[in-house]
Amino acid sequence: MITRINQLPTLRVDPANKVVFDYKGKDYVGVKGDTVATALYHNGVRIFGRSLKYHRPRGLYSLDGECSNTCMEIDGIPNVRTENTLVKQGMKVKEQNVKGSAENDMMGFIDKLDWMMPAGFYYKTMHKPASIWPIAMKQIRKAAGLGVLSPDFEMPGKFDQIFPSADVVVIGGGPAGMNAALAAADKGLRVIIMESRPWLGGFFDYRTFDYKDAQYKNSKPLYSRARELASKVESHANIRVFKHTSVVGTYTNNLVTGFQIGGDNDKFNERYIEIRAKSVVVAAGCIERPLLFENNERPGVMQVACAHRLARTYGILAGEKAVFSVGHDLGLEAAVDLFDLGMKIICVADVREDGQNPYLMIELAKRNIPYLKGWVASEAHGSKRVNKVTMTTLDGTISRDFECDLVVASAGLTPINGHLTLAHAKLRYDSHTNFFVADTMPEKTHAAGRMLGLEDSLSIEVSGKLAGLNAALDCKLMPQSYGNTEVDALKSEIESFTAQSKELPGPARGSKFVTAPVKGRKTFICFDEDTTIKNIKQTIDMGFDVPELIKRFTSAGTGPGQGGIPGHNLPLYVAKYTAASSKCFSSSSSSSIQSLGATPKPTNVRPPLVPTLIATYSGSKHIMMKRTPMDEMQRADGGVFRKIGVWERARYFSDDFSCKKEIENVRNNVGMLDGSTLGKFRIHGPDALKVLQRVYVSDMSKVKTGRVKYSAMCNDDGCVIDDGVVVKLAENDYYFTTSTARAGATIEWLRYHTRFDGWDFYVVNLTDSMGVINLSGPNARKVLQKITSEDVSNSAFPFSGYKEFIIKDTIPVKAMRLGFVGELSYELHVPSSYMVSLWNMVKDAGKEFNIQNFGVEAQNVLRMEKCHIILGQESEQRTNLLDLGLGFLWDRTKKDAKTIGAVALRQAENDPTRFRLVGFEMENNGRAARDGALIVDDKVRGYVCTARDSFTLNKAVGMALVESHLAKVGTRIQIFEDECKGELIYGTVVPMPFYDPDGKRMKS
Amino acid sequence: MSLTITCPICGKRDGYEFRFGGEDKGPRPEEDGLTPQRWCEYVHLNECVAGVQKEWWVHKDGCGSWFTIHRDSVMNVEVATLEAHK
Amino acid sequence: MFGKYKPLWGEKTQLKSSYDVVIIGGGLHSLATAYFLAKEHGITDVAIIEKNYIGFGGAGRNTAIVRANQRTQYNVPLYKEALDLWPVLTKELDYNLMFNNCGNLNLMHSEAAMKAARMTIATAQFHGVESHLLDAKEAKELVPALNISEDITFPIHGAMFHPPGGIVRHDAVVWGLAKGASKYGVQIHQQTEATAVNTKNGKIVSVETSRGTINTSKVLISAGGYSASLIYGMLGIKLPISVLTIQAMVTQPLKPLLNHVVSSGAYHCYANQTLKGEIATGAHMDQWPNYTTQTTAHYIKHQAEALSEFLPCLRGLRFMRIWSGLADMTPDMAPILDGNDQIKGFFMNCGWGYFGFKSCTVSGKYMAEFIAKGEAPDMIKPFNLRRYEQHKLMGETAELVTYTPNN
Repeated sequence: MITRINQLPTLRVDPANKVVFDYKGKDYVGVKGDTVATALYHNGVRIFGRSLKYHRPRGLYSLDGECSNTCMEIDGIPNVRTENTLVKQGMKVKEQNVKGSAENDMMGFIDKLDWMMPAGFYYKTMHKPASIWPIAMKQIRKAAGLGVLSPDFEMPGKFDQIFPSADVVVIGGGPAGMNAALAAADKGLRVIIMESRPWLGGFFDYRTFDYKDAQYKNSKPLYSRARELASKVESHANIRVFKHTSVVGTYTNNLVTGFQIGGDNDKFNERYIEIRAKSVVVAAGCIERPLLFENNERPGVMQVACAHRLARTYGILAGEKAVFSVGHDLGLEAAVDLFDLGMKIICVADVREDGQNPYLMIELAKRNIPYLKGWVASEAHGSKRVNKVTMTTLDGTISRDFECDLVVASAGLTPINGHLTLAHAKLRYDSHTNFFVADTMPEKTHAAGRMLGLEDSLSIEVSGKLAGLNAALDCKLMPQSYGNTEVDALKSEIESFTAQSKELPGPARGSKFVTAPVKGRKTFICFDEDTTIKNIKQTIDMGFDVPELIKRFTSAGTGPGQGGIPGHNLPLYVAKYTAASSKCFSSSSSSSIQSLGATPKPTNVRPPLVPTLIATYSGSKHIMMKRTPMDEMQRADGGVFRKIGVWERARYFSDDFSCKKEIENVRNNVGMLDGSTLGKFRIHGPDALKVLQRVYVSDMSKVKTGRVKYSAMCNDDGCVIDDGVVVKLAENDYYFTTSTARAGATIEWLRYHTRFDGWDFYVVNLTDSMGVINLSGPNARKVLQKITSEDVSNSAFPFSGYKEFIIKDTIPVKAMRLGFVGELSYELHVPSSYMVSLWNMVKDAGKEFNIQNFGVEAQNVLRMEKCHIILGQESEQRTNLLDLGLGFLWDRTKKDAKTIGAVALRQAENDPTRFRLVGFEMENNGRAARDGALIVDDKVRGYVCTARDSFTLNKAVGMALVESHLAKVGTRIQIFEDECKGELIYGTVVPMPFYDPDGKRMKS
Repeated sequence: MSLTITCPICGKRDGYEFRFGGEDKGPRPEEDGLTPQRWCEYVHLNECVAGVQKEWWVHKDGCGSWFTIHRDSVMNVEVATLEAHK
Repeated sequence: MFGKYKPLWGEKTQLKSSYDVVIIGGGLHSLATAYFLAKEHGITDVAIIEKNYIGFGGAGRNTAIVRANQRTQYNVPLYKEALDLWPVLTKELDYNLMFNNCGNLNLMHSEAAMKAARMTIATAQFHGVESHLLDAKEAKELVPALNISEDITFPIHGAMFHPPGGIVRHDAVVWGLAKGASKYGVQIHQQTEATAVNTKNGKIVSVETSRGTINTSKVLISAGGYSASLIYGMLGIKLPISVLTIQAMVTQPLKPLLNHVVSSGAYHCYANQTLKGEIATGAHMDQWPNYTTQTTAHYIKHQAEALSEFLPCLRGLRFMRIWSGLADMTPDMAPILDGNDQIKGFFMNCGWGYFGFKSCTVSGKYMAEFIAKGEAPDMIKPFNLRRYEQHKLMGETAELVTYTPNN
């Protein structure tokens, strides 16, 4: 264990507050504020895991989780980024992808076999002979993947979701972001600032340097400036601060998503956040561009900020003797600071020829730190951790070895552009900064800070402020938001700040792309996928010349850290290599081809910008289904419920899913069914009838008061989309029903098909406000008569009749005499609030007849025996009205109505090749064919829609859609069922309906 | 992408409140002399413009209005006119 | 062992001023058509014109699922042949297409869905394709991670199990076919945009590209999601197509957990584990036309919600990448394979929706025959464009797939 430096003002840990956790079965001690990674490092752990392909040892590299090096299993959850996860009391931590241990991995020998695995080797091997492949594939699957998850794993923890709105969202809580937030908030706008670390401060937070402090009024170190800004931000009434919150997605129209990690006092482990803003400021800063050299990912090699923050934020010195190989001033600054904190700095190599901050050069010299200009690390040595590094001049002519236990390596900086590109910014390569910078910005989005290439502290702050003001202007320019004077004032303020920022240092010159003069066999461009420079060269030689393609072929940048490590280096390297290797371009005059290798092309960044738990994205979603007013009562009566569409419905009322008793009770006695899910509508207004004429195939002007009319709606192909009944309440005032499934789309359908007509009508969806009881069976009238004084005799209320009456002086009923199930039947429509009362009344009245519930499946069989169709069962969407034998509904005389479907029906009506709906019974008293069975000869000729063993008819009957040449009564049909193994069963086409063909029972 | 749509009645709302209703093909063709080809064109065929097109939407989870907007199908954003974003 | 590294699909060459056949689009269907034109019909003077790079579109964006359990008798034999072709092509192309024959499990969440599955299964079995109906318990035995409890939005009633299906390495198919086609002399011109197709007296005469004019009498447009726009833009032929953005995503890689492709229509979701260990999952499309390949916040959340219900152990995994591609949807979910009709010498292969990967090789094979002989082979005759004006939609789905008012 290393001693912690406990007294630093920059610390973000509380060394006095110990946290005990379990690592591989042993207790380890960290301190509050430690990440799992820093706690382990403090305890001497250097090898955190093994790499995917070669099982190379891996350790701390960036401290921000840009790769899988430090992913571990924590509390059963695989692939947790230990660098971003705070250590907690009792946590159980395990290493991944090792046989044995990370320290001594039995698979480590694979690293020597890299010559067997050039780029794309999978594609060229293991398929000859073909029988090898399945075996090889098993091994590949076992070797692939990092963590382990059990199929019965239950994710612990609570996951929340919020959808706040904001005027301005600021991404990044560094100096630029905080200035942006304050600027916008000071203009009275509601601001949300999101920061991935548990504190605001960004890259000021761990830096004690004040070499540029003259620009600040009160000389103070950067960390102190950061804390001053943070306290302003956190106390600002208009700013909502989400810390420990990673932004994972940005979308057009300023939608920002992220997730927050819960703190000690939060009631969630993680929380999904989705914000629609009016304007967005992106101040995401930079990460470091990895330096490419042999063994550049050996434990003990780490980036500048990693070593620097380990010391300043966590009080941990990463090593005793360090060699620096860097390409930017932050590296020089870290060397000086770490020297002052007690680290031995053997030398600092800098790939830059010039442009160094003179102040830092003086500080290095003061401390006698050897400075090697134009040198770079070319190879790290040490089998499991660094013990030596070879440094060379850039041209490779001179090299020297240095013993050390730490190599701080960083080629340069790279902006975090993902937030911009996800929102459609187009990137362009900028040779001054050596960055990809946004060429065109997304609408109402502003970038600020280091990602623009700024390095000067004050420039960064001012750019933030300017972005905040521009975001404020976006909000104030929104229609009807603010007065002109305010907008003008803001505009002039922006102008003056723009002028001021021009006085400050602009984007700094970025360090050039430099690779150590080595072959690159062990120079890793992507750590997650173990992709080396050599692999990239091989790939380019094979003709893959676009970075995005190279990514696919080599997998570089497709691992857990995505483009975090290779995102910048890959395009730079490809550009350099393709430009250098002439063989990629045979002589061609085309400039478009020549340009391929000329300027670096960025690879795509895709959401989520940070790997995000499925549990977190899922949030607090819960199931929502609609229930009818009689839901509870039917459950109490033993209803077996099913989710059908948006509803929960009672499908059965016993364990006998053939529903024998339910069916027989309706045929012989009386039953009641909850029909409340039916679509129910009222349409009225001067043009109401015209609308019905348009959407229904029948002549709706013939609907008579006191009568029910059954009809159907078709689509423009003549295919039936709905059927139901219409009653006329008054002139241009109708009540109509639709099938359950169509209820949600009916009004939309009516309005769409009348959108050019300018008709005057009102249509109201009463589906949820009206309930329906279907009372069916020979004794139905007797039951109904008991609860109403209205004459419901067959003469007063005949089949197809419609009546309105009041039950018990209170309950208004719309009653229809229908016969879907083929018996005497009443459909009672009443307001939902009365449904329970009416249900109970009907039940009480029916007691003496032993009235029973019946469910949706019993109804299905009953109506099938009567050959009444259910759309979707006896039809599919290509089945037209005529196919179903419903042509009698179609009125051809109302041409002016422009009835939907009529054109297509006319065009298709003489087509002999269409399907027809037929009834059939099984031969030789055979069992019913299964629904969905095929009608075949040498080809498929149709299929069984619904077929059942009918208790009523004592034989198996059903309906099928068949080609028309099979539709004649008496035709023998051959039925092919699943699993029949070629054994066909047979049926005969018979007339429809099967039950009560004259309709006596229904009509009496 | 994250579409917003401006409903003529309810204003700018999240795109998921709406349902798409097809490319604008104008009123249905007159029935007299209508060929199956012309009818098929009206019912099924599309121009599939990669760019700005005029199209129908309904405010399904709102006021229920049908209306047309111009949208850039490459960027999936509402635009003011056919000429915008070209 | 691996020899020198040479360009896989030939050195870059000059664009010639004429070719026997010009294929617009450098995706899988085009590459396969070119390969079979050369190999089966000896037509090697073929240019593939690709605006970006081969496999840029759907070829590289799909989740590589293959299966032959389609709904109609026209589709099943076609997809069956496609399944049978993977091992054949692996050998012919000498390129490992990595067919993982893991089988597909399609979950059913209602009695009605079980009925629909029976029909599909019967259709498969009638055509000699293996497919079975399982109950929920049997499904769980196959996929232990399934949640078959009642307390989810769509409880699992059973599943359609289709053992011959699986996953193929999609990029390998692109590169393998490119390699195979170029070996026969087919020229692949990347970074070359076709800008116009010229006709004279109802016949194809030439193709304009960003690198010059090509004289030819035969043009195939087979550009995936971009086909409909190109065909209308260049030739004025409207198609019954709506182009939608379809999204997919992968989790971080992990050791083997899912050994089958699992899919659910009710949840609009499928999931399978790639050879790299990622759980690949997807299926959602915003229900309006788009040419954007950006993704949505709405969908990645939806997918998490769905997976949380029927594969709840996945809650402990992290999504690491979501992407999207284009799907050119037809109302009957069946493609349009047509040619020599409106314009002599013009062929089209489009409307595959999200079935374009599983069908690519077989569609290439038959389109090659169509182009070589000028007559549509019987296998693909039913997929003509005129079926729509004849009101004879294919019925590949029970419900119409339209992006107009809901019907």
